Parts: sequence; C-alpha cells; structure tokens
Amino acid sequence: MKARAVTNFVAQFGIDIALNPELTVEKNGRFYLVNAALKPLMVRSDFFYAGVFLGKAKEGKFFPSFNLLSIIAKKDAARIVVGSKAAWLFICGRPILAKSVLRVFGSGKKNTHVLVLNEFGECLGFGRIVGNLRDKGAMDEIAVRNVSDVGDFLRRER
Amino acid sequence: MSGKEFYQNRYQQLGYTLQEVKLRQAIRINNTNAKGKKIIERLASLGVHLEKIPFLQSGYWVVDSKVSAGATAEYLLGLYSIQEAAAQIPVSLFSDLKGKKVLDCAAAPGGKTVQLADIMENTGGIVALDVDKRRLAALGNHLERCHVANAVVYLLDARQAPTLGIKFDRVLVDAPCSGNYAADRDWFKNRTQKDIERNAAAQREILTKAVECLSDHGELVYSTCSLEPEEDELNMDWAIKQLNVEIQEIDCYGNSGLTNVFGKQLDSSVARCKRIWPGETQGFFVCKLKRSKTQ
Repeated sequence: MKARAVTNFVAQFGIDIALNPELTVEKNGRFYLVNAALKPLMVRSDFFYAGVFLGKAKEGKFFPSFNLLSIIAKKDAARIVVGSKAAWLFICGRPILAKSVLRVFGSGKKNTHVLVLNEFGECLGFGRIVGNLRDKGAMDEIAVRNVSDVGDFLRRER
Repeated sequence: MSGKEFYQNRYQQLGYTLQEVKLRQAIRINNTNAKGKKIIERLASLGVHLEKIPFLQSGYWVVDSKVSAGATAEYLLGLYSIQEAAAQIPVSLFSDLKGKKVLDCAAAPGGKTVQLADIMENTGGIVALDVDKRRLAALGNHLERCHVANAVVYLLDARQAPTLGIKFDRVLVDAPCSGNYAADRDWFKNRTQKDIERNAAAQREILTKAVECLSDHGELVYSTCSLEPEEDELNMDWAIKQLNVEIQEIDCYGNSGLTNVFGKQLDSSVARCKRIWPGETQGFFVCKLKRSKTQ
C-alpha cells in the first residue's frame, strides 16, 4: 500500500479517501495522483512532477500538499472557518485565536488536526487544536497552532 | 557588434524607433479555479485595481495596488497568475485544447503550462519539459499552487522530445531566446550578435524536433520574447522551407511579421506571424504552424 502515508494523514481529519492504486504513483517519497488521460503520457519513470501532487513522506512523517488539503476540505473533514484578518495572519504563519473562529466542523478536540478555511470556504492550510474552540471565556487565547499554510509558496522561493 | 546604438540602428532598419518602455504588471485569471469567485471584486477590496487587457481573454493590467499582487491569498490559492501580457498570447492561439495531448517544450517556470491546463480545464494531458533542474522546482510549485492536475514534467532537453515516442495534438515552443530590452534593463550591455546567432541555431534544432513530435493535423505555436529577426522571421522562413510546415493565419495583438529583413526577401506567408514591438507590452514574436498539406 504505497499510498498509506496519504490515507493515514487524511484519516486524522475524520475522513477516508479512496486512492486508485493504479493511478497513485510514488517518486522519491513524493506521492502523485494521475488521471487516465495523463497515464499514457508518463512513458518515462524519471518524471519530476505528475498529475496532482499529494504530499511527501520524509523520515516517517507525511507532509501534505495544498492540493491534498483542498481535496479533503471539499469532503466532511474536521475544519474551522476563520474571519478575514485571522485568515491573513494564518497565511503569514501565525496561529488562530479562539475569537477568530467563525465556525467549527468536527470534534474540535484538543491535540487534533484541523483544516483552516477562509470565509469563502477555501483551504489555507491546517493546524493543531491547542485551545478550547468553543469556550467563550478564552476568546483571546490561541486556539489553533499553525502547522502549514499556503504562504509557504512564497517562503519556498526565497 | 553590440551596444545600444547598434541595436537602435537595426530596429530602425526594421521600422521601429527605440523607445523607453515601462512594463505594466499583468495578471491572468485562472478560470478553472476562479469560477464563481468574483475574483475582480475580491482583489478590488484588497486595493488591487485591475483593467481588462483588450486583446486577451483573461488578462488584466494591475492599474494600482496597495498590496503586492504576488502575495495575496487569492494568488496563493491559484485563482490568478502573474503573467506578462504578451506572454499570455501564445497559448491563446491554439484551437480546441480540451482533451488534447500537449507538449510544452521549454516549460519552466510554468506560466504557460498553467495557462494550458486552465484552458484545458485539466482534461487531456500536458508533457512539460525543461532542461534546467533549478527552474523545475519553480515549475512544480506553480503547478501545485494553481491545482494543475493534467501535467507530467520531465527534466529533458526539448531536442530529446522525440525519444518520448508520443505524437502530440498541440506543441508549444516558447523557445529559449535572447530576450528584449523592455524586459531586461541591461539587455544592450549583455547581448551580442553572437549570442543571437547561437540562440537562433538552438531554436532551429528545437523546432525540428518539436515538428517531429507533432501529429499530422496538429498545431504548433512558436514564440520568443526576442526582437531579433534571426530568432523570429528568419527562423520561420527557414522552417517552412526545411520542415514541411505552413504558417497559419492568426488573429491576435501585434504587427504582421517582416517579409523583408535587411534586404533579404522572405516567403510572403511569414507576414502571418505577429511581431510585437515594445510599447503596451514587452517585445514578442509569435506564430502558428501546421504540417504542410503538400508533402
């Protein structure tokens, strides 16, 4: 099961995804999902990138791509929706304060992972819940620590 | 043979008076990702004001911006790309891209690959090649950011493309070229005729192999951001004589290709190419080829 790293990661968000093993390819620890039209064009095994990049496994840890996060955000994954200011700060690598959380989908339990969505329902990344998302008395406290956000596209190219 | 005066004289002979150009930043909406998202309004609310580029379907000038257009959430989510206006033209010349097999010969950093995928709505497949490993990383990031799902990327010189053994319906040769002064402040200092001749020769080699990969009824778009006729009209004149291809009529921004270059008369069909002198955009050259019917 070459894609177990992917499915195990996704399961943390309370959902399962079915990856067709015929169309899931691994290259140097990087996982890609290709489609039936693209597969015949993959005539060489030494490709650099193919189809939808799902993420990479390194030293036993899985680092999801933003494509994968977007795919699972469209399913019933554990997620929070945050306001525009918090969304921007999150992209800049900052955590989410409890008062910025507009909606919570999923258990909201501490020490679980949660996708972070903006008000348009677009996935900005994910984080780890460290505070009580629903406690009205802790509104100024950090609720979600940033694990990964789309601002990474800028940071990568520095 | 180099320097500003030398090229100024050359361009004068070709009918263009050198002018200073301040390039305007342009973006291209990725329609597949931005569908129904009111992207223009969202950017306006951030202080990014746009003006439609009249000769492009999804291109906008950034008229005024309070933030960097390359650092908004909308950009990071792949709803648009930053792509110079003239550079948006080549991909727009292909007909009927959906579901097709497409070869992108010199793909990095990926602006045109993403544009292809967007118009194809992630159907069919793109084989994107580049010879520079470092630039492939930028290409990969670009594909991920814009949620491209139908491309496979190889570290491969376009001159090796026939080794893939695939016949493509559409081939994009956005050829590595000498560039132009509007996009490079030091262009006149850095370029010589020798560079231009070397680039033109490499372009002919790429073009030869790209035509080999083209299916019988396929379309090939050739473009450069060079103003030098050796890389543009002279190469196209060579191609129609050597590669059994015909230049197609295209309807896009730009002037007709030159058919008389420094006294040399070229095939009249070279006028179907488009030459864009710097002004509204950077300098550019583009044309569309098909296999000749009379082989």
